[in-house]
Amino acid sequence: MTIKGFNLKKRIVITGLGTFNAIANNVADFAVALQAGVCGIKKLELFDTAEFRSQTGGQIKNFIPRDYIPLEFPLKRMSRADMISFAATLEALRDAGLYPLPDSLKEEMGVAIGGGSGGLLEAESFYMELLKKGTERARFSKLSTIYCASSADRISSGLGLSGPKTTFMTACSAGATALGYARDLIVSGQASMMMAGGVEPMCRITYAAFNALKSVDPDVCRPFDKNRAGLSLGEAAAIMVLEPLDAAIERGARIYGEILGYGVTCDSFHMTAPDEKASGAVRSMQAALKDSGLTIDDIDYINAHGTATPVNDVTETKAIKEVFGKRAYLVPVSSTKSMHAHTLGAAGALEGIVSMLAILHGFIPPTINHQESDPECDLDFVTTGSRKANLRTVLSNSFAFGGNNTTVIFGKYEGEGARHG
Amino acid sequence: MDKNRQMDNAKRVVVTGIGMVTPLGIGKEEFGRKLFAGDCAIDTIKTFDTSSFPSHLGAEVTNFTPRDFISVKNLRRMDKIALMTAASARLALEDAGMKITDENRDRVGIILGTAFGATDVTVQFAGTLLTEGPAFVNPILVPNTVMNAPAGHTSIELGFRGVNTTVTHFAVSAETAIAYAAAEIRRGTADFILTGGVDILSKFYYEAQTKFHGLSPQNGGPEACRPFDLDRNGAVAGEGCGIICLESMQSAMARGHKPYCEIKGTGMGSSLTTPTGWPENTDGIRRTFSRALKNAGSDAASIQTVFAAANGGKVLDATEAQAYEEIFAGLEKKPLITSLKGAIGESFSGGGIRACALALSMEKNMLPPVVGLTKPLRPLAFVAGGKKDIEINNAALAGISFGGTYAYLIFGNCRNGEAKN
Repeated sequence: MTIKGFNLKKRIVITGLGTFNAIANNVADFAVALQAGVCGIKKLELFDTAEFRSQTGGQIKNFIPRDYIPLEFPLKRMSRADMISFAATLEALRDAGLYPLPDSLKEEMGVAIGGGSGGLLEAESFYMELLKKGTERARFSKLSTIYCASSADRISSGLGLSGPKTTFMTACSAGATALGYARDLIVSGQASMMMAGGVEPMCRITYAAFNALKSVDPDVCRPFDKNRAGLSLGEAAAIMVLEPLDAAIERGARIYGEILGYGVTCDSFHMTAPDEKASGAVRSMQAALKDSGLTIDDIDYINAHGTATPVNDVTETKAIKEVFGKRAYLVPVSSTKSMHAHTLGAAGALEGIVSMLAILHGFIPPTINHQESDPECDLDFVTTGSRKANLRTVLSNSFAFGGNNTTVIFGKYEGEGARHG
Repeated sequence: MDKNRQMDNAKRVVVTGIGMVTPLGIGKEEFGRKLFAGDCAIDTIKTFDTSSFPSHLGAEVTNFTPRDFISVKNLRRMDKIALMTAASARLALEDAGMKITDENRDRVGIILGTAFGATDVTVQFAGTLLTEGPAFVNPILVPNTVMNAPAGHTSIELGFRGVNTTVTHFAVSAETAIAYAAAEIRRGTADFILTGGVDILSKFYYEAQTKFHGLSPQNGGPEACRPFDLDRNGAVAGEGCGIICLESMQSAMARGHKPYCEIKGTGMGSSLTTPTGWPENTDGIRRTFSRALKNAGSDAASIQTVFAAANGGKVLDATEAQAYEEIFAGLEKKPLITSLKGAIGESFSGGGIRACALALSMEKNMLPPVVGLTKPLRPLAFVAGGKKDIEINNAALAGISFGGTYAYLIFGNCRNGEAKN
């Protein structure tokens, strides 16, 4: 498959993964938790939730930065987002057999991160200080990590990288777009290797925003359930090492799989509600299929956006039916947000890791918390626990506020250097 | 031989329209007239009280009447940053002679850069949350607190539904967005992409800048923006939006629309600096410039002019000037160097406005002067004291950010539909 002027013969593979999320603080535990159907949505402890509509969320547990980040990397003025993404980066590098990182790789290695709330958690404490002490005495230096681009800066400077560096801010699709763009930077020769993914910290401002919109389920989210009442917010860092297949084989890397294609579209409909005709989501999946040169018959599992808001789940179901026709009823679809919650800017990358682990270990992760079927959401949502399955491909959806849709397709790799689950 | 000549017209990315809302003027006639006249848009800040700050100057957008550009239906939902973006995008589409229709809307997109997004709305939301509590926040504000809101609003206002992405990386936000957009046109994922950057002045943002000692007068002396000048003492804050339209040469020719110029190559890179520090050595600039030249299939000798990133800052301007001395050393004919930030201030995503200015320079065969430069810090060929008439074949646009991030864009003239060496 060739798209005009673009060399898709250059295959880009994933050779390392790293994550912190509500159900695991590393990739191996994440794979186990996903298969077991663990729910990480619990009462939040990061801040007081008494005044909010909801009190639950998917918080990272027991994150002690120095347990994961060696002393050689100073933590001064790093936000929670900076620290979880940096720790996930180190795990991904170790996983890829690239830690400590050889100097020869630094020149052409870049970073692409999907961001979200960035240092807003720390900004809150600054703001409180500002109110108490006034502008003269409030420490503005606390704001130096407020913006989400700071996480990519920390990764790049911490590792001493010289390659491209960029941060995506398309809300809930940012992590997915970062993976796609990182692949393109390698394909077009602008980087030889990329650290790509997403990061989203839990913070009061974001929590308040989703509460104000009344889009949060006060209990746990129930994707595709008849009585679903909204999403559960979560936090995560999810980082992948991407490199060309030939380079990976040459250095003896162990390969998880490959990014086969991605698509980005826009609803152009409403800032917070999806287009009811689901046109943006439909075109996003179709664009990813076209980019990867695959047909609907090649897709073995759909990792849904599945936020559990009343409107998203019915719209996404409609979109899957529109794209897959009769095959929609044959392809398993699940929302792992039922386990790790909706991690916004990190979601696309975290669910990319889910997709890779599902392919590697041969299972379909379940949609947990599902109790009653919704006649409008009538696909195979894998609601009775994870399933064993030999997956060749996974299609992963990420749809966002602002009508931004991104779909990424991941593929199994079986040649030289393949990992075995 | 120029590599671009060998590329077919489907892969050549051309600039076919420009639109802007800037402190110098709105729309290309007013903007262009004041730009080449060497006008300065920097004045005392009028929209908020600066009496408690050490700085009082800024380049504000004035005389902007959103309802002249935005439909009544969408006007009330949009905040200041979205209004500037949608208005600039509409002007750019009109300039490109492009009508959005049912046939083309899915193939038209936007890739926007913003360094800080809607700081006004976010601070308002956070302020209510942290002082009055979660029950008092206004849900209407929420959609506009996400950084991708301006691009989302613009797609709704203008009715296009293709690729829609927002990129952020401090002072290279716009340059990175343009580089990504050019790659997407080459890859064929869209036929027509609006790209550029937007940022706005708000009191909070201005105050934070002063606290980080980013603004003139950093170390006493009269307050002003003096890029590349020996007496420079800091940047002056600016705001505004600049949007350029990208499509393939083939597409422009099929529409019968004459392009301003083409984007021949892009380069991105990083270097080691402190999180909020500007680069103090020239490694990152030299590396990224050479990547962009290589990507364009050109060399340093082919560049007639550089639109520099210099903003009147002590460190940035010195490093950038030294880098050009090194890059162009040994060349018989040195390129002319200009910086617009003496006229429009530093808005961080001003790369969009600067790209519009570069397109106009190609069309009009003249370069705008560095406003505020009287005593050059190095003997480079600065455009000082007034505009300079010159036929430009190749130009470079520099993006340099604190935190050590770089993006260079190489533009080429294609006056007769033919790239020149």
